[in-house]
Amino acid sequence: MGMSPLARLALRAPVPVFAAIGPGRQADVERLLARRGLRRALTPRDAAVLLLAGDLPPDAMEPLGRVHDQVPRPRRILRWTDRTETGDAVADRLATAWRGLCGGEDGDDDLQPDAPSNAWRGVGPHGQGGTGMMGGTPYGRPMAMTGLDIRDGLQLDRYTARLGPFAPMLPPGLVLELTLQGDVICDAGVVCPPFAQPADADAPVLCSARMLALLGLEDAARRVIRGGRPGALWLRGAVPRGLGRIEGGGDARERLAGYLAGTPAALAVPPLPELLSGLEWAEAMLVLASLPPSSILRATRLREAA
Amino acid sequence: MTDLIVSLLAAFAAWTGWRVFRVDSMVRASFSLMLSFVAVGGIGVVLSAPYIGIATIFMMAVEMMVMAIFMVMFMMNPAGLNPMVMVHQHRISIAAGLLAATGLGVAILSTPLPSNPVPAEAPVVAQLGHELLGPSMLIFETAGVTLLATMIGAVILSSRRGRFGAADEGARPPGLDPGGPPAGRRPESGGGHHHHGGHS
Amino acid sequence: MIAGLVLAVLATLAFGALLAVALDGRLAILAAQGARQRVETEAPDRLNRDLAPAWYLALAAIGLSVVPFAEGAALIDSPVGIVVWGSCEALIVVTVFLHGWSPNAPFPLIGAYRYAAIGLPVLLPSMFVLIAAALPAESLSFVAIVDSQRELWNVIRQPLGLPLFCIVALALTLRGPMDYADAADIATGTSAEESGPARVLWDIARAAMLVSVSAIAATVFLGGPLGPVLPGPVWLWLKIAGLMALFVLGGRRIARTTPSRMLSILWVILLPLSFLHLAISGVLAL
Repeated sequence: MGMSPLARLALRAPVPVFAAIGPGRQADVERLLARRGLRRALTPRDAAVLLLAGDLPPDAMEPLGRVHDQVPRPRRILRWTDRTETGDAVADRLATAWRGLCGGEDGDDDLQPDAPSNAWRGVGPHGQGGTGMMGGTPYGRPMAMTGLDIRDGLQLDRYTARLGPFAPMLPPGLVLELTLQGDVICDAGVVCPPFAQPADADAPVLCSARMLALLGLEDAARRVIRGGRPGALWLRGAVPRGLGRIEGGGDARERLAGYLAGTPAALAVPPLPELLSGLEWAEAMLVLASLPPSSILRATRLREAA
Repeated sequence: MTDLIVSLLAAFAAWTGWRVFRVDSMVRASFSLMLSFVAVGGIGVVLSAPYIGIATIFMMAVEMMVMAIFMVMFMMNPAGLNPMVMVHQHRISIAAGLLAATGLGVAILSTPLPSNPVPAEAPVVAQLGHELLGPSMLIFETAGVTLLATMIGAVILSSRRGRFGAADEGARPPGLDPGGPPAGRRPESGGGHHHHGGHS
Repeated sequence: MIAGLVLAVLATLAFGALLAVALDGRLAILAAQGARQRVETEAPDRLNRDLAPAWYLALAAIGLSVVPFAEGAALIDSPVGIVVWGSCEALIVVTVFLHGWSPNAPFPLIGAYRYAAIGLPVLLPSMFVLIAAALPAESLSFVAIVDSQRELWNVIRQPLGLPLFCIVALALTLRGPMDYADAADIATGTSAEESGPARVLWDIARAAMLVSVSAIAATVFLGGPLGPVLPGPVWLWLKIAGLMALFVLGGRRIARTTPSRMLSILWVILLPLSFLHLAISGVLAL
């Protein structure tokens, strides 16, 4: 093989995988990506292989296409739809795909046309479609517009965006419409509830690993999933006291302590908008990670029924 | 050599200063201004004022960072898409600019500038320190503490959250006995009447 | 002499950055990233996006060049070395902010914004700690600060100094508990939209900054090139490598709290603590 030393070194890198998790496969994927030789990319830009686990509902196919096209070339999409296929087999397939990409294979083409999904509505004095220098919806995206600040009553810009269904910090399938001021969540709405996951996704090990990853302890999270100890300092203390307190379920810090001790949590979670509004981004993600996926699903379904 | 470096830095300062008004975003404008000040700081270093020159760079970096934060806070636009114009009131500003430039130019050209080179081995930093913490100490310390107190006061006044509840809910004095009714009356809306609490 | 120092600075930066990437276990990851495509975001600020890693590298080089490699031999032997490093710190905050601001995307912007909010209060303990180290030396120059540690290293004379500076170092190199710019909850924040060589360059610049920060810490608290038997530069390199390992380990093993809580900790605990440290050091230096 006529590979350069750099390419040979690259071959030894863990496979950068961005996971698009479908219904029922969250636990499988999380356990798979904690293996040695695989690395969970937190953004599609950092990945080379897009792992699609499970059967996606039709309305998730368009976001999947967008995520796929954000993975830099050369890239490969791998489907893990067969439930009986073991983690070992998938890990092998990922490694093979990675070897192919490092060896100069071309990889997949775009799934979607490289064109804006909405029309550019270039009106107004500066062409962005708003009035003055603010607002407007160029390419269908609302631009920031000032609004009342929920903390100090100042007039600050509000930025509204949809997140999900494959954002790695949210439960798979959950699409939120968030209005942000800086990183403070002013308004949250559930556009799509998360995909249903079997009880395995509520395992204390996986719940604690999700929180550890948000606390910047990627390695500790992997160690915990593989059955080891986190081996890190200031775990519970790093979670602010009283954050995400739920009646009968304690706060996020107590839940983390419970997960680390191996106790699962079963909670009656209030509707997400109520839970998340007013929190800062990092706090909100920590609160979401501290809840078992099944109770988040129940909370969003409750809201739909209401 | 010194002349060449100073003129280059001065040209860079003027160019980045001009860019402040030509770019289309507040963040770009802030950091153009910062570069302009960095060049001025560099001139200070070349002209044997290392402390003042480098402290200028340090302070301007921090100040422009704070300014850019406020820009993003009030206009949460990342780099592009919502371009903005940095100049307003063209006629007045052209007149003001011409006036200021002429005035400063005349002042500089008509002033007999001293030529008093600092000897290379002079301990300029130590001399500056002795001046700042010697005869001028009272002035500098008073100004510094006043500025600090003003900043803290402004932050406290503008914050809604406080030790005794939200700022826009009106003052409510504590009870005379624990849990009792508030001492004094609740302030009337719009009333300029000062009521001394304690005898309800 | 000057050519030697330039060579020393560049070699230290290059090998140190290589060591830092190796300590992080990211050599293969960077090699793999470098071969990948660079994806454009929509309407980015191209100038600042491309300049941010270059600025970061340049600031690391400037920071390292005020460090004396042997007694009395620094490339920039400035009488105000501490202030030069302080300006580098302030410009690092600006650089990281621009890195997040320029791709024109929400997560990088949140990362940038958050880092600026954390970075500015981190500068205050940093300045107090460095000024405290300047008191026994009666000079703002790093050469004089090394000279003042002949009898006793500052790490013992001013025990609070190094721990406080460790926090500053983690913040300046975007590591672990102080990595508020590239955190996991915002999909690696300021780097979220970067791929290919640009991502590699940013990581290399971070690694180079780790070398620079460690060199400053080694000079201010561990006597820099002072040490028996071995020549000065070797002692400095050993101390830099030791501190780098400490920062990498601490970055990996300590949890990161939420930004608002870290802000309270910075303003309410660390700032008064560093002020106390300055006051004690001042009294001791009298």
